[in-house]
Amino acid sequence: MTTRMNRRSFISTTMGVAGGLTFLGPRALMAQDGATLRFALSAFPPSFEAWTSTGTAAGTIKLMMHRGLLSYDAQGMLRGELAESWEVDDAGVWTFNLREAKWHDGTPVTAADVAWTIEEVAKPDSAAYRQGQLALITKVETPDDRTVRIFTEEPLAILPGWFAHYHMPILKTGEPKDTQIGAGPFMLDNIERGVSVSLKAFDGYYKEGLPKLAGVEAIVYADENLRVAALEAGDVDLAEYVPWQAMEQVEGNDALKLDVVDGPFMYLTFNGSRPPFDNPKVRQAVAHAIKREDIVAAAFFNRGGALEHLPIADASEFFNPEYANAWNYDPEKSRALLAEAGYPDGFDCVMLSTAQYGMHQSTAEVCQAYLSMVGINVQLDLPEWSSRVKKGNEGQYDLAVMGTTADNNDPDGLVNVLDGALPASFVRSFALETPEISELFARGRATFDTEERKAIYKELEKVAVETVPLVGLAWRAQGYGMQSNVSGFANLPGQLTFYSGIMLEETMIG
Amino acid sequence: MLRYIAYRSLVAIFLVWTVVTLVFLLLHLIPGDPAELLLSQGSVAADPQAVAALREKMGLNAPLWQQYLDHLSGVLSGDLGASFRDGAPVMGQIVQRLPRTLEVIAAAALIASAFGVPLGTWAAIRTGGWADSFVSFLSSVALSTPVFVVGSIAILIFAQHLQWLPAGGFVPFSEDPAQHLKLLLLPACTVALSLWAVITRMTRASVLEVLERDHVRTARAKGLTRTAILRRHVVRNALIPVLTILGLEMGTLIGGTVLVEFVFNWPGLSGYLVAAVDARDYPEVVGIVMTISVLFVFLNLVVDVVNAWLDPRISLVSK
Repeated sequence: MTTRMNRRSFISTTMGVAGGLTFLGPRALMAQDGATLRFALSAFPPSFEAWTSTGTAAGTIKLMMHRGLLSYDAQGMLRGELAESWEVDDAGVWTFNLREAKWHDGTPVTAADVAWTIEEVAKPDSAAYRQGQLALITKVETPDDRTVRIFTEEPLAILPGWFAHYHMPILKTGEPKDTQIGAGPFMLDNIERGVSVSLKAFDGYYKEGLPKLAGVEAIVYADENLRVAALEAGDVDLAEYVPWQAMEQVEGNDALKLDVVDGPFMYLTFNGSRPPFDNPKVRQAVAHAIKREDIVAAAFFNRGGALEHLPIADASEFFNPEYANAWNYDPEKSRALLAEAGYPDGFDCVMLSTAQYGMHQSTAEVCQAYLSMVGINVQLDLPEWSSRVKKGNEGQYDLAVMGTTADNNDPDGLVNVLDGALPASFVRSFALETPEISELFARGRATFDTEERKAIYKELEKVAVETVPLVGLAWRAQGYGMQSNVSGFANLPGQLTFYSGIMLEETMIG
Repeated sequence: MLRYIAYRSLVAIFLVWTVVTLVFLLLHLIPGDPAELLLSQGSVAADPQAVAALREKMGLNAPLWQQYLDHLSGVLSGDLGASFRDGAPVMGQIVQRLPRTLEVIAAAALIASAFGVPLGTWAAIRTGGWADSFVSFLSSVALSTPVFVVGSIAILIFAQHLQWLPAGGFVPFSEDPAQHLKLLLLPACTVALSLWAVITRMTRASVLEVLERDHVRTARAKGLTRTAILRRHVVRNALIPVLTILGLEMGTLIGGTVLVEFVFNWPGLSGYLVAAVDARDYPEVVGIVMTISVLFVFLNLVVDVVNAWLDPRISLVSK
């Protein structure tokens, strides 16, 4: 009898404690009413610091809470946000004219806020994504509350693009970097760390009639399969990062729709500090050894496309058709280049990738197979992502598989992956000098005439095709899946896909 | 008894200290720099100057022994530190997430026991028959199917096709009790499946053993009904080893529900640990591992003491 009583009380106590502790949990996590959009995020933002690069999921949250001077529209064209208009004078000084906008606490957004933001981001220890670029700003003038004049040492054509990035919002003077006060269409309502972020509409938003939703419930579904399951089960209205293998299934479901663009891309980087990849002939041999279609099939379920040149989309005005297949699959040419470089029998090398993300591993495996056919014996190094980042930053590899997006659709957005003058990083080749490319990027930035810029970037691509600071492999599709009654949301074109959170202000349900 | 508990507690403290020290050292041994990782989100190059500034802020530039001593003194004063990523206090996060993991485990234990004990008993009294083979077969399948397979199939059937239950997620009981229980059902059943197999097998073996004992023969000879013998003399005696196994399994599950929490998006402690390891968030990893080891050691202690209390033949004094 005693035993039974004990067992019963044990069970009831356990349940009581578990239930009681659960009661202590924070408030609601799920959608409250029809006008609240449930958004399946792929990851919880590692931090809410507005200017730090904290990933694309964090970018989507920032695009709801904050606004920069500019942004992009559904067609990928620059448009004004806090800045109503912007212009550059003959001396290369950019003037931004601010519109009447309010912070979430009701106070007005002023030119002083913009100047303060630029000053804070440009500080050497700001850890801001745009620190390097904004450090080039020599002076900021605020002649009145609505006007900001930005001076740089050299004239910079691409400066407006800096202020359209989701990691470059304007913050209110004196606010902490992870402030909850923004000027965006939604206000932060509640954060359940690691689980969800609730946002509600800001009724003082500067665009009349927006946002159309009462709120957004961004719920983290780290597992891509569960994200799709949640979409199919109707648990969420909109989901980012639809996995490639599920795209057909989402398209085939009458209750759902899919919006896909080719934006992010896969590529190979090299260790230029030692043989054999310090030799451009060897890098060219690699570029001609790999059949890209097999990567698209193996890693991306045919959702994407072959990339045999620099990652400049064919829809871009800077696309150069003559280089479209510059690094075409040609094993004979590859073997000849190897022989020319002094490796007629090939060589052994280590390729760094990661086992954490299937697409990185599959891409590496296809490359390994094709490189072995021309005599390059590749040993794969597949640590988890954090080790891969560290090894990449320290150059502990011979060649490496990488995937990313450019900063934006302007060719200057490729500077991060191409310019060897920048500090060592896992996103670009290690210790690979690219003096001509660095110089052409600088010229491109200082040139305002579009035709002249086209000529500069054409020259840049020509140099890149010959010197191979990276090898383009594949475009990969980036998709948002949504219930068919969701309207107003669009996947922004090309490299801007991760800016698509900007469209949530126009999104409606039903 | 008190002396025994005091002795076991000292051993427990030593064990926890060993685990914390090992985890702390191992974390610093494996590659991956938290500052670099935090600033390299979204495949973006981290600026070396920014990384250096952040390392300083995180206290990672101090010598390892100093970081270790700082951490230990923090732990002794009840402060597990703050997350590298966003400065959230680790203790607060554990207090919030641990009950959710315990809830899944408790619910799973209830479901597993409710089905496991009767089925195990049934298999034992029909030993060698088709019922025994059937239960053995089912428990083998349940034991050998990985939880992520069970979880994924459950989502496919109950969320995607039938749409009876949500695919995953969490809502506090205080907000919406019905939705909370709905969300709890699939993860709890998934965890329960393998636990059910263990309990069933253990119950079957234990009941078979008790059935052979003299007191059961005596009860039969006295003319007691089969049900009465089973209920009063067999199952109650057979449950002691089952309870021990259940206690130990529950301890293992505290850190072992990772896959289930991941598959069902249940924001418990295990998922929190995986995210912390991924981000090399040292204070979080050490804090969570310490909590899990304290709970595990404590559960072992409780199981030992309860066993000794239930069965005086188990000696408390080490010989």
